[in-house]
This record gives sequence, C-alpha cells and structure tokens, in this order.
Amino acid sequence: MKRQDSGSYLYFLPLFLFIALIYLYPFVSAVSLSLHDVNYLSPGKHRFVGLGNFVKLLRDPLFSPALVHTIVFTLGSVVFEYLAGLSSALVLNSPFVKMRNLSKALVLLPWAVPIAINSLIWQFMLSPGFGFIDQFLNLLGFHALAQQTWLTNLPLVMPTVVAVNVWRSFPFYTIVLTAGLATIPRELYEAAEVDGAGRFSRFWHITLPGIRHVSAVIVSFHLIWTFTNFDVIYLLTGGGPLHTSEVLPTLLYHQASVRFDMGYASAIGVFLLVALSLTAGPLYSRLNR
Amino acid sequence: MWDVFDQTEVAGKDYTQKFDEYQKLHPDITIEHDVMTYSQLQQKAVVAGQAQEGPDVLHMLGEWVPDFVKMGILSNLTEPMKSWADFDKFPTSAWQVATIDGKIYGVPITASTRVLLYRSDLFDKYGIQVPTTWTEMRQAAKQLTVDLHNDGHANEYGMGWCSATTAVRGPQEFAVLLWSTGASLVKQEGGKWVPGFMVDQAKAVYQLYYDMMFVDHSLPPSSIGWEWQQLDPALQTGEVAMEQNGAWMSGRAAQADSGKYWKTAPFPYDKVPGVIKFAKHKAQAVDLLKWLFGLNNMVYLAGSDNLPSRLDSEQSKYWVADPVWKSTFLHTVKDGHAMPPIPFAPALKYTMDDLQEVFYQRMTPAQAAQDFYNKVASYLDSSVNNQ
Repeated sequence: MKRQDSGSYLYFLPLFLFIALIYLYPFVSAVSLSLHDVNYLSPGKHRFVGLGNFVKLLRDPLFSPALVHTIVFTLGSVVFEYLAGLSSALVLNSPFVKMRNLSKALVLLPWAVPIAINSLIWQFMLSPGFGFIDQFLNLLGFHALAQQTWLTNLPLVMPTVVAVNVWRSFPFYTIVLTAGLATIPRELYEAAEVDGAGRFSRFWHITLPGIRHVSAVIVSFHLIWTFTNFDVIYLLTGGGPLHTSEVLPTLLYHQASVRFDMGYASAIGVFLLVALSLTAGPLYSRLNR
Repeated sequence: MWDVFDQTEVAGKDYTQKFDEYQKLHPDITIEHDVMTYSQLQQKAVVAGQAQEGPDVLHMLGEWVPDFVKMGILSNLTEPMKSWADFDKFPTSAWQVATIDGKIYGVPITASTRVLLYRSDLFDKYGIQVPTTWTEMRQAAKQLTVDLHNDGHANEYGMGWCSATTAVRGPQEFAVLLWSTGASLVKQEGGKWVPGFMVDQAKAVYQLYYDMMFVDHSLPPSSIGWEWQQLDPALQTGEVAMEQNGAWMSGRAAQADSGKYWKTAPFPYDKVPGVIKFAKHKAQAVDLLKWLFGLNNMVYLAGSDNLPSRLDSEQSKYWVADPVWKSTFLHTVKDGHAMPPIPFAPALKYTMDDLQEVFYQRMTPAQAAQDFYNKVASYLDSSVNNQ
C-alpha cells in the first residue's frame, strides 16, 4: 500500500517539472539578471555587480516618488474598488433587483473590455473640452469643472488614473462578492431581524463577517495586481507629466525597453517581488484569520 | 520577414502582391510575412536577437538601427549594397539612416521628411502668407488664433505641438526645430560623442515653445501632453491651423472632410529594412531587398501613403505627380537630417521631459536648455562613450 502511494507521486512529476520550468526559470533568471550589469546595447560586457543595481535603484531620484505613487495608486484603487464592488454587490443581491443575471452582465462590462481599449477610450473621454466627461459636466452645469485637463493638470493626474482603474476593476469585486453574499444563510438575517437588529447591525455583524474570507482573497490579489499594474498608467499618461504618475512598473519598462538596461530593470522587478512578499502575504493571513 | 504592413490596408496588400510576384519569379523561395505593430516588432527583434534567432529580413524605424547594431542583431550589408547598381539612386542623407560607423545595415525605403502642414482655408480666410521663418511662423500662428464666440477663449489656434511623456512625434518635432537652428543632436569630437548643439540653440527651441504658449497664446492650453492622436484630429477639425508632419498624412487627407485644404511647405526621418545577422537565408534576403526596392517596385510600394527615398522616383512608371504630398517632400530629401548613428532613444526622451518643465513653468527656456544639454552630455559619457 505504502509503495503504491509513493509511486502515485510520480504521476505529478511532469506537472511539477512543467510548473517549475514556467515559474522558476523566469524567477531565477530575473534574480540573476538583477545581480549583473546587463545592457543589451553592450553585448559581451555583462558582469556580476552583486547588489550594485539595488544600490543604484535606491539612489535613483525617480525611485522614491515612483514608490510613493505606486503605493498611492495601489491603496487608492483597492479601497475604492472594494467599496464600489461591495455597494454594487449589495444592490445586486437585494430582492428588489429584477433581471439579476442581465444586471450582473452589464456590471461586468468594464472589466470584460481589454485594458488597452479601456484606457484608450478613457483617454478620449477625458480629452479637455470635447471629451465625454467634460461634455457631461457641462450638461450638468459644472462649466468650470468641465474645463479641466484631467490627465495633464498635475494635482488631478493620479486621482484620475485611480478613478479609471477603479472603474475598470470594481466589477470583478462585484461578481466575487455577490457570490460570497449568496453563501450567507438567510436564516441568520431572519433571526437577527426577530432579535431586533437594525440594517446596519445586520450588515456589520452578519454580512461583513460572512464575506470576510472572500474579501481577503480578492483584496490580496488586487493589491498584488495593482502594485504591479503597468498598462493602465502607461496607456493613460506614460508615467507623466513630469513623472507625477510614474510608478515602479513604468520605471521598469523604461529601463528595459528604452535603455535596454536589463540588469537594472530586473532589480526593480525583484524589488517589487520582495515588497509584495513582505506585505501581501502577511496581510492575506491577517485578513483571513 | 517581420514588418508592419497590415494586409487589411493598402500598403500590406501591395507588399503581399509583390511577394507573390517574387515567389513566381523564384519558385525555390517562400516568403513568410509576419505583421505586427512597431512596438511589438521592436520588442520581438530585441528578444530574438538575444536568442540569436529571428527572421531573415526585419523592417525597422531609422532610430532603431544604432540600437540593433550595438546589440549585434543586424548583418553588415555594405558590400552587397555598395555593389548594387541602384546604390547611387538613393541620396546620401537616406543611406546615413542605415549607416553606422561607415557600415550599411539596411535599405532606406521611405524618405519621411517633415514639413509644415497647414490649413489653407484658414490661411486664406485671414489673408495670411505661408511662413518661412520662425518669426513669420509665430506671427502667422498669432493671427490664426481666434476667439470665434467672443467669450474670452480662443476656439482656433495657430499651431500645435506634441509634448506627451511617451510622445514619439514630440522628440522628432524638437529635433527638426533644433536642426533648423543649424545644430545637430550629437557630434564626434576627439573620438568621443558630445552634444552637437550649444545651450543657446536648445534655448532658442524651448523659447519658441514658451513664447507660442505663454506670450502669443497661439497654442491650445489643453495641448500640453498631446501626442499625434490628439494633434492630428485638431488639425482636421481646425482647432489648430499648423503642425509639423510627414507624407503619410496624404492618406488621412483623403479621408478627412477638411483634407482638401491641407497644404504642405519641408524635413527628413526614415524607415529601414535590414537583414538579421542570424538570418538563415542572407543572400536570398539581400536579393529580395534589391528586387523590392528597385525603381518601379519601390515607387509602387511607397505609393499608398509615403515617399520613396530614391532620387530617380519620378522616372518610375508608377510615379504620380502630386505637388502637395510629393513635390514638397521630395525636394527636401537631399538636404535631410538623420537621427544620430548611436543609441539615442533615452536622450530623445529628455526633450519632452524638459519641454514639460517649460510648459509647466517649472523651468525657464534657458534652464531647460541647460538641463537638456547636461543630460545629453551625461548620457553620451555614461552610455555611449564608455561602452
């Protein structure tokens, strides 16, 4: 019996090797590159520099602002995505909503549109003067606000980028949280109502604990996805103007694709990985307790 | 071959037709034609080059050539190109784009010179002459800036420029302006690459942007951060009356309501197909390039929306005279400037960084010019001269 059990592990071996290859190779390669001075414009001159690329990163004048912007973009996005996702999930879960499946499909639309198309559409919608947002604000009578240059007015750039990211991502929260809400037994609400619990009390003591685990998963995943998100910001602003929306992934892209400095770009990637490992993992454990 | 000629468009169909013709003439040759966007093409070429793999022929933007040569991706085509009977039919300025350290790495297939593109209907409406100097251009732009509704806000502006962080056209516009001061972007001095301009020349360029935006108010205030996707429609709608642009706009003019009013008055920028160093069919690839870019085929292929780079283009049976979209461009080819023959993309990005400093009024044009000069000098020292 014992021999049969150990033999059965062999069946997993090809899968294990496949996963190791596609996950471990890029990881090991990136770590190795981060410890070397590798620039594709200087083939044959690659050399080991130890932590030199990381020291260079800490001394890079763009690093601190990019790190702050990454944190602001991540926290701003995840907090508002969760609030928007939870609100819409509660609405969709209420007995007053008819044609629930159609409503869910409509809510899911922004998430289903490819990011590149989404970002380009938003770029046009945010165009000053003739863009949809300014036209809409004009229609509502907010004429002064409608003159905004959303993606070039420095104080507005990051909030605008966060808002676009929230709009794109919150439907995913809606769908997952709707599924989470459906698992909470109706009897709990009925019993609480009999005991005289109000709406807020029922939400606080039944709904929120009931979706705690699914919330932990989705928030943790989105922290990771948003922290490493490149396309939304790059397509909307390219990290500008004047680096006001520069985040670590756009900094990495610039080093890799414009300067071809793969060693330094990999160091930024490894920094992102370490930063996420030290924060997202423990945060998930804490949220999921 | 890797290129960007989408087969749903005229240029792609023309290339496919020519490939079919070539395969009929050479039954032993099969041409595999992979189409992608410019950014995909650049990234795939870099990755393939690192793996010492890739297609036989690669379509490139002129500014990629120095990078790809440094990376060791491209084959040296000096001998087959110089022995080609048609070699002299291309202007020296066109060959410069494909030449690094005296060696040729590709065929310059289009001469994308830059010109002043303007709305003749607006010029006629306000009785303005086409400008020939910066002073005249500023004056014309001021006269073309009009508050149509008398509400204190202009609705039509004289000029538009690109200044987005990721702008592709913005650095090209800057380079054209810098060249027109008599400067170069870089030059070789004592075996080292150094900035080819003086701070005062860069200052003149930044000052022009500043004056048009803040003194003349002849640029749309919302144009800070524009790339061609915003600038070209602005010309189409008449929001701006002038911009700097290339021969490819002829295709868009044919589709735009206002296209018949688009007129042109000169500068160069080019595209190049080269042969990959690791090409498995190098000799056949060179033969294909010579055939494709012989007189008639080149004019045929560049006919849809670009300008062939050959000096004898007008002798081709496919040549169609066009004073607006061909003559103006063709006459500027011989005196054209090319981007530097060294990896220069990071330094080009500084042009937009410093232009934004000027537009956001965080630096004066003089400070921006000094900053640009310092960054270019530092980049050349650390990334070009030390490699």
